Amino acid sequence: MIKRWRQVFNKRYQQWITRRLPPVKKIRLDNRKLFIFPTRAGFVFFTLLVLLWLIATNFENNLIFAFTFLLTSLFIIGVFHTFLNLSGLQIEGGRATPGFAGQSAEFEYLLSQTGNRQRYSIAFSHPGVDPTVVSLAGNEIKAIYLSIPVKKRGWFQAQRITVKSVYPLGLLKVWTYLQFDTRALVYPRVIDAPLPTQMAAGQGDKPPPQNYVAHNSGSEDFVGLEKYRLGESLHHIAWKQFAREQGLQTKHYADAIDDELWLDWDSLPGMDSEARLSRLCAWALRFSEVPQPYGLRLPDLELAPGTGRAHRDAVLRELALFGQPKEVGEQA
Amino acid sequence: MRPLWQIPRNSLFWLLLSVVISIALHLEHLPPWVALAGIVATLWQIQLYRERWRQPGRLLKWSLAGACAGGLFLHYGRMNGLEPMVALLFSGYSLKLLELHHKRDALVLIYLSYLIIILQSLFSTTIVSSFLVLIALLPVTAALVAMHGGAENTRPVAALRTGLAMLLQAIPLMLVMFIVMPRIGSLWAIPQKTSGTTGVSDSMSPGDMTRLGRSGKIAFRVEFDGPIPAQSQLYWRGLVFSGFDGRRWDQQGPWGYNDGKFLQWSDQGLEAWDSVIKRRGEPLSYRVTLEATNSPWLFALSTPLPQSSTVALSRDFRLVSKNPVNAKLQYSVKSWLNNQLEPESLVGWRHKLELALPSGFNPKTREIAEQWREQTPDTLALINRLLALYNQEFIYTLRPPALGKHTVDEFLWGTKKGFCEFYASSFVFFMRAAGVPARVVVGYQGGERHPTENYLLVHQYDAHAWAEVWIQGSGWLRVDPTAAVAPERIEMSFADLFSEQADFLSASPFALERLRHIQWLNNLRLKLDSLDYAWAKWVLGYENVQNDFLLSLLGAINPQRIALFLLLAGGIALLPIFIMLYLSRDKNTRDELDRLFLQYCSRLEKMGLPRRPGEGARDFAQRISRCAPGLAEAVEHLTGIYESARYGEEGGTEVKAFKTALKGFKPSREELLSST
Repeated sequence: MIKRWRQVFNKRYQQWITRRLPPVKKIRLDNRKLFIFPTRAGFVFFTLLVLLWLIATNFENNLIFAFTFLLTSLFIIGVFHTFLNLSGLQIEGGRATPGFAGQSAEFEYLLSQTGNRQRYSIAFSHPGVDPTVVSLAGNEIKAIYLSIPVKKRGWFQAQRITVKSVYPLGLLKVWTYLQFDTRALVYPRVIDAPLPTQMAAGQGDKPPPQNYVAHNSGSEDFVGLEKYRLGESLHHIAWKQFAREQGLQTKHYADAIDDELWLDWDSLPGMDSEARLSRLCAWALRFSEVPQPYGLRLPDLELAPGTGRAHRDAVLRELALFGQPKEVGEQA
Repeated sequence: MRPLWQIPRNSLFWLLLSVVISIALHLEHLPPWVALAGIVATLWQIQLYRERWRQPGRLLKWSLAGACAGGLFLHYGRMNGLEPMVALLFSGYSLKLLELHHKRDALVLIYLSYLIIILQSLFSTTIVSSFLVLIALLPVTAALVAMHGGAENTRPVAALRTGLAMLLQAIPLMLVMFIVMPRIGSLWAIPQKTSGTTGVSDSMSPGDMTRLGRSGKIAFRVEFDGPIPAQSQLYWRGLVFSGFDGRRWDQQGPWGYNDGKFLQWSDQGLEAWDSVIKRRGEPLSYRVTLEATNSPWLFALSTPLPQSSTVALSRDFRLVSKNPVNAKLQYSVKSWLNNQLEPESLVGWRHKLELALPSGFNPKTREIAEQWREQTPDTLALINRLLALYNQEFIYTLRPPALGKHTVDEFLWGTKKGFCEFYASSFVFFMRAAGVPARVVVGYQGGERHPTENYLLVHQYDAHAWAEVWIQGSGWLRVDPTAAVAPERIEMSFADLFSEQADFLSASPFALERLRHIQWLNNLRLKLDSLDYAWAKWVLGYENVQNDFLLSLLGAINPQRIALFLLLAGGIALLPIFIMLYLSRDKNTRDELDRLFLQYCSRLEKMGLPRRPGEGARDFAQRISRCAPGLAEAVEHLTGIYESARYGEEGGTEVKAFKTALKGFKPSREELLSST
């Protein structure tokens, strides 16, 4: 019962927060967006004030009254100071660096202000992430980054980030929840798998399928490193890597019959689509390390082979958004 | 072992300084070893921070805690009372310093520092010590600020500056609260400090008053609502002594009366015996600010009616405080100088008491008194005859010769040299021996008028003893035999009379009083005193003037006016902060050029061309040229001037050029559209 109430309350609260602070690109914090409340230390401070007041009253000592009132005033003054440490701060959702599912995506936030207030100790946090604490000098523009864990491929929108500050006295906290409409692209989870012995190349009407054999026996293009398996030639062991304590690995080379290399959905039969995407993703990463053009072939899409970072990103993007609406994301 | 949490370096600095300062403030009433323990704990914490020493073990800490508690018990023999409490608080405070493992430990220390420093005001209420307490709150606040300044903000001075600014901003608001907040009386009985009486004591032997005559300390100050009465009227009654054992005069308790309670409280209606006082004419209204005496009796002109709730009128027509006066006490009184006390009759038992004489003392005086009584049956004539004797043959001096067993005999018929108590004692003894009820009254006589402020300073050397005799039909009549010997003592102030004598103020060798003949020093002394008096009146005893003050401030005291005042005064008190904080937000420390450039940017932003964060002027111009070629020329031109103003040699003229160029820069929709 209580659990249900809590759920209802949380839902209402989320709705209220969303109404009050809708997702934005850039926000300037002011009194309508900031919340302020005493901290636990603040409540203990109240107790101290009550104790002092009791002492003053009982000993009929006006000096202690005066000092009690001074500390009370300090607390009240603290409300303004605490509030102004955040008020006027401008936060803009910056770039969101894509990440792989199971790892994290990095969100950038740009802090600026029009005045020259020195701001201290502002904590930015997101559920599941250690807060980042920054100070901001007058007229300074500062970028902070939150690495937010991502689980599923596709577009990922960060939850509300909490911006909080207790400076200067620690007796009050001022905070806000901000939702930026920045989204990060999450690539599939990387599950490395040995390259299949045969990878389809060319299109269906282009017989015969050219054979691509990944092996460690030839002397052609270096493809990558693989874990040493018993029986492999000692000539191909990557001794440099072994010396760096990266374990026994063997160098693999590919004799590309054709420059065109295809990462093909159909080369991974018997797996569900996520598993296939994960493996295609891993291979794409592997091939992007070497000067080897590669293409992507998915059930409803084909990307012509290419090299370079832009090509890699395009491939990964298609893998990330496979089967999902491909709206244009905010990737400033 | 390195603690998980470490206090910021600057916070630790201010915290340790606060500890040292609070030890220094309380040094006077702390057992030396408690102070020493605090210093050792401070040093230990410094060494811990520098990783030179190790954390004390749990066993050591607990045994230290036990040792502290035991030591305090042995030192004080009790645990209740103010001083043991503060000392106990101190030992806990020092021990806490050894375990700064969490942020909350540091917070506890900071809060304890606030508490301990403020508690100093229970021990001393002078201007200087209050100021020291105020100063001492500064490092504590700095420690609190430094705790929350973050890792990038490690300079101790920055935290101090913020703390100072906040404390200063808090002061106006504190004053408003101090003025308005109601004071309710103490909620429960508190352990009283026990220390020796200062000033007039509850008994009088020869030499007691003489000793007071050597002290230049202030006894009390009086502020009259009207003009200050003549010096000879100012008899500040304190205690009434009816008992005499041959040497010592003392009070004869509250017994002997059967007409109501001994004490009449101002807020509890009149006792039956109030009718034996005949008050005539207009009363004098005045306010007394008494220095700490550690005793409950108060001083007032005859015949008083207290106006403060903690002050009672006693059956023998003097004022008594509810609690011993351990700190400055202020009370308001109305006095009717024109009065008659018990004119009809004395309560039977008291009548006997006021005539009682110890047997076996002063036989010669008794004998002569009886003779005189037969020769002069009229009481007034008898009194005048005795006073005339004093006037002709006696000497008033601060250095009276010592007296033996028969004090009155030896004085009256032998030495004939004495101070006021000698005269009062011998006079009352003589009167009783002659069958006239009489008693000794002690208190103060006269006072020093402050030349510029409208108040009277009464010093310890103004302490005086005189007599009261009871005459059927007239009641108690004040007779001051000293006035017969040395009328100038009553006419002038005591200090004017005695300042040439070597013994004057011999108990206060460093008193400024001794130098009263040096004009500017005397002025300085009086200035300092008026400051001290203002402090006592407006701060220490504020609850006594609060009502009148609020009344004069608000016209009437009701919740609406108080609320209105709080709002107004609070608003005014907070105004400087608003101005400071909000102005500094938009305070333009950027130069003129930046301001102009921001104008330029905002004009473009209105056209839907905002500058991106971090985008340079040149990049911005290029982007605009691309998006809106219609604006390209103007933007390129302005950017060129901006750059030469910013980076060129002749900044000043270029800034002006930018300003003029900017005036003509009014991008319009058309220009924007013409591009696309």
